[in-house]
Amino acid sequence: MREYTVLALVAAAATVLLELSVLRTGVFRDRRYWITLAICYGFMVAVNGWLTKLSSPIVLYNRNHISGLRPIWDIPIEDFVFAFPLLTLTLGRWLQTGGAARGR
Amino acid sequence: MAACVVVTLPLELVVGARVWREPARLLRSVGPVLIAFATWDAFAIERAHWSFSARYTTGWEIPLHLPVEEIIFFAVIPVCALLTFEAVDRLVGTR
Repeated sequence: MREYTVLALVAAAATVLLELSVLRTGVFRDRRYWITLAICYGFMVAVNGWLTKLSSPIVLYNRNHISGLRPIWDIPIEDFVFAFPLLTLTLGRWLQTGGAARGR
Repeated sequence: MAACVVVTLPLELVVGARVWREPARLLRSVGPVLIAFATWDAFAIERAHWSFSARYTTGWEIPLHLPVEEIIFFAVIPVCALLTFEAVDRLVGTR
């Protein structure tokens, strides 16, 4: 079984469910979140690509556990899914710990 | 990873994102997520989903065979995301 593929999808789905039903940080309704996500995914291609490029990889993936789709600079497509809970949970926690009255 | 810190530092110093200046909040945001992803990482290493080049890593490990580089990754990347978020807040507006 392609365990990384499955785990990444489960983690992404769990993050959406967790946010909407338990954490309720409001992160998905926040325009700043979506802009941040877009910027981070942009930079992710450079950083992740440097880690995963097959010409001199730093992180090596077990071919039995990934789909084999590596669209840009050999980044496994699973990594793009993996990044979603990492970014979403961090930004959600940040909103949660911010307190209501924050001076700008 | 050091480059990521350097590249995002102006967001704090020039744009005025207040992330490094709220260390307690930063720890409470990044800490739990770091623990969750380190756990995933340890499982993935145990199950051989991925491994690391001996040539490009220090070989220093914390328990559960986690390379120190991974811990640095799961600390640095979220901080960069928070700096981006706060910079967007300053430059684009709250919502």
